[in-house]
Parts: sequence; structure tokens; C-alpha cells
Amino acid sequence: MDARLRRVNKEIADCKNDKTSNIRIDLIDSSPFHLKGSFPGPEDTPYQGGHFEVDIVIPESYPFQPVKMKFITKVYHPNVSSASGAICLDILKDAWSPVLTLKSTLISLQSLLCSPEPNDPQDAEVAKHYTTSKHSFDETARYWTKMYAQAPGAGVTKEDTVAAAGLEKAHVDQFEALGFPRAKVVDVLRRLNYRGANVAQITEDRVVEELLK
Amino acid sequence: MSSDYEFSDDDVDNVFDDEDIEMQDDDSDGDDGGDMDDFKVAPKTTRKAWEVQFDSLTQASIEKLMEKDVEHIRGILGVDESKAGLLLRHNLWNKERLIEQYMDNPDKTLIAAGAAMPEPEPPRPSRRPSRKPKASASPKSDTFVCSICFDDAPDITPLSLDCGHAACSGCWSAYITSKIRDEAEHACRCMAEGCGLVASDEFVRSAVDEDTYVRFEELLVRHFVACMPHLKFCPYPSCTNTVSCPGAASKTSLTTVVPIVSCGARGLASTSSGSMTQSQELTRQVTGKEHKFCFGCIIDSDHRPVVCGVALLWLKKCRDDSETANWIKSNTKECSKCMSTIEKNGGCNHMTCKKCKHEFCWVCMGPWSEHGTAWYSCNRYDEKGGVDARDSQSKSRASLERYLHYYNRWANHEQSAKLALDLFAKTEKKMEEMQITSALTWIEVQFMKKAVEEVDKCRMTLKWTYAMAYYLAKGNQKDLFEDNQRDLERAVEDLSELLESPIEPENIPTLRQKVTDKTVYVQKRNSIVLEDTAEGFLEGRWAWNATVEGFEDPVPQDP
Repeated sequence: MDARLRRVNKEIADCKNDKTSNIRIDLIDSSPFHLKGSFPGPEDTPYQGGHFEVDIVIPESYPFQPVKMKFITKVYHPNVSSASGAICLDILKDAWSPVLTLKSTLISLQSLLCSPEPNDPQDAEVAKHYTTSKHSFDETARYWTKMYAQAPGAGVTKEDTVAAAGLEKAHVDQFEALGFPRAKVVDVLRRLNYRGANVAQITEDRVVEELLK
Repeated sequence: MSSDYEFSDDDVDNVFDDEDIEMQDDDSDGDDGGDMDDFKVAPKTTRKAWEVQFDSLTQASIEKLMEKDVEHIRGILGVDESKAGLLLRHNLWNKERLIEQYMDNPDKTLIAAGAAMPEPEPPRPSRRPSRKPKASASPKSDTFVCSICFDDAPDITPLSLDCGHAACSGCWSAYITSKIRDEAEHACRCMAEGCGLVASDEFVRSAVDEDTYVRFEELLVRHFVACMPHLKFCPYPSCTNTVSCPGAASKTSLTTVVPIVSCGARGLASTSSGSMTQSQELTRQVTGKEHKFCFGCIIDSDHRPVVCGVALLWLKKCRDDSETANWIKSNTKECSKCMSTIEKNGGCNHMTCKKCKHEFCWVCMGPWSEHGTAWYSCNRYDEKGGVDARDSQSKSRASLERYLHYYNRWANHEQSAKLALDLFAKTEKKMEEMQITSALTWIEVQFMKKAVEEVDKCRMTLKWTYAMAYYLAKGNQKDLFEDNQRDLERAVEDLSELLESPIEPENIPTLRQKVTDKTVYVQKRNSIVLEDTAEGFLEGRWAWNATVEGFEDPVPQDP
């Protein structure tokens, strides 16, 4: 039997037998090389209570080359692209070692959620948000967890663009009142990182200038 | 430097030995180049002002150099050969720094290079890889289970580096092959997570197939060459030679020399054998030239006489879209109201913007209504705003025209060089024709081929003289340079014309005489251009009109 197939089969079986880690690996289609991993959000983080799914593609030269992983579930995190789910993690690149397994990699992803690295970001806007105001960032990350990762929470049924962008409703209302479309206001304020201490530094004129572009 | 060179019969008779003539002309510092063929200058025997001293090295000789360094380190530090190799590679072949570091802290240096394990074995590495002893305690006591592929077949052989992190030989082979083939990595660290031990050459050799090991050795050589500032790999596809050029090792030297080198190999390393069509044969002939490249920059052809900095500046300018902007600037104006870009392609000066319907005067850019009754003739011509606008417009146009002047000539020579393939083919035909129609032998018609090669070479020089002239600051030096350039260009065009002219059997002897004369003359003119510029660089005679790395900033001058 092909060494790669044998190894993947064993890894899937191992993961099934391990009840303590809460990590699951499932097949997406009939191929054993395209999988879906999932794990619960780590406790005492904004991701607590969420259920995160990861798309796993096992390359031809696995385990000598790293697996390709990206989040299926939308995650608000500096090292995860908020648009595509792409992950910035060293063991998925040059720090990969053949002794690492799908399970250990998924555990690493779980711990990445605990300890973001905003200095080496995948998503620059999210990282800016994180460094500007940790509190506001946590709020938004929690909102995303409720919205996309099925965390239990009251009142989140319809997507609220303002909360999802990590902005204050009052700020958006203020510029919307000037006659700009709401979606555009959200987009510009998010790009300018109009949050926390930054609000005092960005003049209203600057925002309007951006809105007029 | 007069352009009227007279040549004696002696020169003409010796046209195929003209390298020898030049050798006598120059201060030849080497031995007589008796072994060189007619069309090749052996770099070591005679060195002209525009040539640099360089050596061509094969992969084997680089390996010898590496061995010497390894041996040196082995003797000084008292480590074995494989460790010495790993230490050197990790320290980028900097022997002095390595010795210093090793004397300071041998263990740390060895561990960093992956040549030794950290001393007190922490429980960490024993977690996963020590599955081997654990496996022996399990029910299947005598079977080894590879921790990578989970194979437990009785016939697999466990292998490990000195750290003891075992895996089956198949996994090691696949791992190292993937490192070498996919990642072009020569330092293959142990597969265990966090273990920094690097596989020795012996281990790599035993783990992979022969082809991969050859590739591994090549990677080592490339790494070595990349670490040495006076070495550079030949950029030609599948060529494995290296050139050593100590004269161009530092960046500052690139302002005084143009280090065009050649790796010694010719043509493509692997030409498909067997039936070769005519065009393939031709391609082989043309590409069968020396592997010439610049040691100092990324241009993989001869860019003499101009130095790397200026050549790169020129190429960048030609690539950039900045000239498009320049065109727009000189050919269009913006509507003073809505800022739309407008090109006037005829008609009178009374413009009406298509977009905002603003009416204005093309000459003064003011609103048309202010022209009052003096319609169709702008009487505000001398007002300041209008003058300024026109000034900047004409300046931009002048600079564009200047650029286009040089660019067109540059591109023209480049184009001609590209057509060299055709010219070679045509000449080949003519040479056959001559052999048939006249009594000349094969060796006697070679003057045609020689002339074509010379034209090709000179066109390369000419091409780059335009890049140089574009950036040369105005002055006497530039005038002299352009005089030399003009003389060479005229000579080359004359020779080209002679080569293109139809062959009449009765004229062949005169044609031969003329072509040989011209070839020698062109060659001399080319030497003059190259020599004069090269000497200029050494003397620091050239001044530029743009900022070039390594040179003084340009003196502002009138356009």
C-alpha cells in the first residue's frame, strides 16, 4: 500500500480513537486526501464556544511536505485571512516536520487562536484592529464566533455589518447621516481603522475625503 | 583617434590572425597565444583595457576548492571531515568567523550548524522518536514501526542520525529526495520536530538515488559559489561552470570596470543528438557562442562599453511606462474645468470639452469667453500662466524626443542583432555560392563569416553606446565619445552593406578585398570605442546626467 495512504488512514483512525482531544477529521468526498478537520474554540478566548472547521488538502509528497490547511469557518484573527481563511503559521510552511500529524497540526491551529501573532499578520486590517484596541477586537472576534462558528449567543441571527467590521454603531450612523451609503461608510471606516484611540487621530475631513473617492 | 585608418597589405593578408596583430599592438603581458583559434580571444594571453581578468572553473575544480577549505578547518579545529563541512556551510564558508566562533564556544557552534546534539538531552526529543525503545516493550517486541509511515513490515530497516530519531529507510529516502528536489535544500535536518541535526553527506548518499545525489552535490557547489563574492555561476541554462573574477568582487569596482566574462563553455550543454533540422543546426551555431555574461549585474550578455549601473538604469527606463506618461504630457492637455485629458487632433483653437462642455482656448487654456471679439487668434499669448504652461510642455516634449532619439538607435541595433540568425544563414548560402562560382576554397570564403561575426559584435557595442550617450553629461567628453561612436557606426553600416550586396562572379576578388579591409577597420574602430570608454572609467573621466549608483551626483545643467 502506498505509504501516504497508509499514513493518512492511520492518522484518521488515531484521531477517531482519541476521545480526549476533541479534534475531528472527516472525509469531504471519497478521496482520503481531501479532508475536513474541526475543533472547538479554545476556552477563555473570544473563540470559546465556537466550532471551527478547517479544509485539509494532503499533497502528493506528504508527509515530507506540509499539508495545506485553511479555515472554512470565518475567523476574526490577525493570522487568518478574514476573506479566504488562509492561515499564517510556521509549521504549515518551513517549520514543517514529517513527524507532525494532522491532529497535532490542528491542535497547533487551536493554540494559534489562543495566541495571535499580530506582528506577523496574514490579515493586516485585523492585525491593526488587534493592536489598536484589544478590547474592541475581542468584541468583534466574539461576534464572528457567534455569527459564523455557531457559538451560543443571544440575538445574533441576521448579519450585522457594523459589528462584524468591529466598528461603533454611533460612528457609522454619524457618517451615514451625511448622506453616504451605509456599506461604503463601513468599508472606509474599517480600512482607516476607525477604532479606539485612532478615532481621535483621524479627522472627520479625512474620512469624508476617503468617502468621496 | 582619426577615422581614416590605412592598412598595409600585410594587415590584409593576416586578417585571420588579427588577434595576433592586436597582441603586438597591445602590451601583451602573457605568453603567445599559439593555441587559440582564429575567432577567439584567449582571455589570459592578452588583456585589453576593456577586459577583466577572470578564470573559468568547472564544477570539479570548485569541489576541490571546497575540499581545501574543509581540510583547512579540519586541521585547525580538529573535527572530522563531515563536521567541518557542515560547520563551513552553516557559516557561509567564512573561515575566519567560523574559527573565531568555534574557539569562543565550540559546542554552540557545532549545535547551530547541526553537527552535534545539544548536550544535556532534554526529555523533549525522547517523546516521539523514542518510540523505538517503546516499541520494543510493546507486545510485538521485535518489530520496528516507522513513526512517519507507520509501516511495521519485518523487512524494513530503521535508520537514524546520531540523535537516534529512527524512521524507515524508505521515509528517509523520500524525505531527503523531497528536500533536495523540491526545496533545493542541501541541509537536511532530522525529521523529528525540533531536532536540528543535519544529515551528513555520507548519510545523504546512502539514502538517495544517484541522480539526486548529483543534484545534492550541485546544490553544495552553488551554495559555496553564492557565498563567495569573487565567484559567480554561469547563468546559461544547464551550464555548471563557474567564473572567478576577483577584480569585480566588490560593488565599488563596478564603477571602473565592466566585468564581462565567459565561462569557457560553448553552446548548450545538452544538444539533442541525431537528426537536426537546418534551423536547429543554425540555432546551435548561433547559440554555440561562448557563454558571455556580466559578472557585476544580471545582464547575461555583453553590455560593454557601458558600466552596470548605467546599463541597468537604461533598461529600467526602457521597461518603465514612464515614457507613456511623457507622451501624454507632451501631446495632451487637461480641460481646465473637469480635468479630462484632451488630445487635440486638428481643428482650431476653440476647444469645447466633450465631457463638461467647457469652452476654452487651446493656446492659453483660458476660457473662450474672455477672448472677446478677437476670436480665433489668441492675444493673451504672453501672459504668465500661458507662458509657464507652454514652457513645461515644450520641455517635456524635448526630453521625450531626446529619449526617443537614443532609444530608436538602441532598439535598431538590438533588432539587427536579433536578425543575426537570418544573416548567418544568408551568409552561409553566399559562401557556398562563392565556392561554386569561383575558384575559392572553403577556407578562402571564411572572410564572409568573419565579417558577419564582427558586425554582430560591433552592433552589440553600438547598442550600448546609445544607452551610455543618453546618460552622459554634456561636454567635450561626450562629444569625443559620440565621434568615436559615429565612426564605428559608419564603418559597421558600410560593412553591412557590402555583405548584403549581390555577388557577381567577376567581382568576387574585389569584394573579398573590400570586405577584409573593412572587417579589420571595423575591428579597430570597435577596439577604440571600447578602449577609450574603459580607460575613461578607470580615470573617472565620465560624468552622468542622472544619479548612478557609485558615482557622484550629476551637476545640474541646462537641458
